[in-house]
Amino acid sequence: MTRHIVRLYIASASVLGLFLAWAGIAAHPWPQTQSSAAGAQAQALAQYQQRLQLDAALVRKLTVPESVQAPTPRVRIVTLPPLTTTRTS
Amino acid sequence: MVHRAFRAMGTDVELFLDSTDATTLLAEAEDEFHRVESLLSRFRPASELSRLNRTRAMQVGPELLELAQLSLEARDQSGGRFDPTVYDALVAAGYDRSFELVAATAVVAAEPARCSGHVTVDVASSTIVLESGFRLDFGGIAKGWTADRALALLERGGPALVNAGGDIASAGRAWPIGVETPDGEITLELDGGALATSGRDRRRWRQGDASQHHVIDPSTGKPAEGELLRVTTVARTATEAEVLAKSLFLRADAAAAAVEADERCAPTILVTRDGRTLLAGGLA
Repeated sequence: MTRHIVRLYIASASVLGLFLAWAGIAAHPWPQTQSSAAGAQAQALAQYQQRLQLDAALVRKLTVPESVQAPTPRVRIVTLPPLTTTRTS
Repeated sequence: MVHRAFRAMGTDVELFLDSTDATTLLAEAEDEFHRVESLLSRFRPASELSRLNRTRAMQVGPELLELAQLSLEARDQSGGRFDPTVYDALVAAGYDRSFELVAATAVVAAEPARCSGHVTVDVASSTIVLESGFRLDFGGIAKGWTADRALALLERGGPALVNAGGDIASAGRAWPIGVETPDGEITLELDGGALATSGRDRRRWRQGDASQHHVIDPSTGKPAEGELLRVTTVARTATEAEVLAKSLFLRADAAAAAVEADERCAPTILVTRDGRTLLAGGLA
């Protein structure tokens, strides 16, 4: 075997080694740890978002006039017979 | 259209629902009235409200907590004219038992009771604490509030209307509703919303020469005087309408009440004790 062929084998082995290392890293051999951390982070963010939404609703309730929150009922005097009657309760 | 009528909270209640098959919804709505009455009646010793009034401080359920909060907000917004601490003033005026029994046997106290008592509501612990010497009465708000709750149940089945002794909540379509005036009945077409009437023309009794009625003026602790006989007003919910009608009625002056209705853009019919009818709040 000439030195040239030895160098070729070594280079091929190096490429193969690099490929196996890349494949190993890409396969995420530590998924359990990372996903649980990400899950906790997502849960915390969801809770934070929910709290912000509740705060925003409270701020709207406190600052927006009630008349803007819901339309005023429409009412007019008509000549129809009444279905029911209001009286002092 | 289906219809159900029954007695609850010392008054006549009517349910209307634009649907052909609504037996379950009608039953649920009626049950809600009886359930709330069992919690909040001041005439039932076992009700949650009666227990709170006896103990002065108590952890309460969500209904009593919400009504207490709403009542205190209403007191602030009405400048104290609406007040949930009129219990003892009502008793002093002779209204110490259900109204059917009051008219025959009312005994009026020599001195009116104080109103505007301090009430602490702690939402976090669901606790209410009453100032010593004061008790709560939700007679001025509970029927409208329950009408709103019953409407929420009914309107799942279609356009609906709830009439709790004159406190009316409606949804889904326009409903023709009669309002009594000295000049005859006016029909209001109410499209989405509520109305209520407050006045001194019902739930009244005589004690000797004095005329008594159930609307207490918190500033005097006695049944309200003034030139108004009755006020009917429109709002988004029956709870709001009931509070606003009482608040406007407790204006001593009819013109001042009409101005307030205009300012609030609340369509209102005011009837005075001398037989005049005033329209306000954009109603014409």
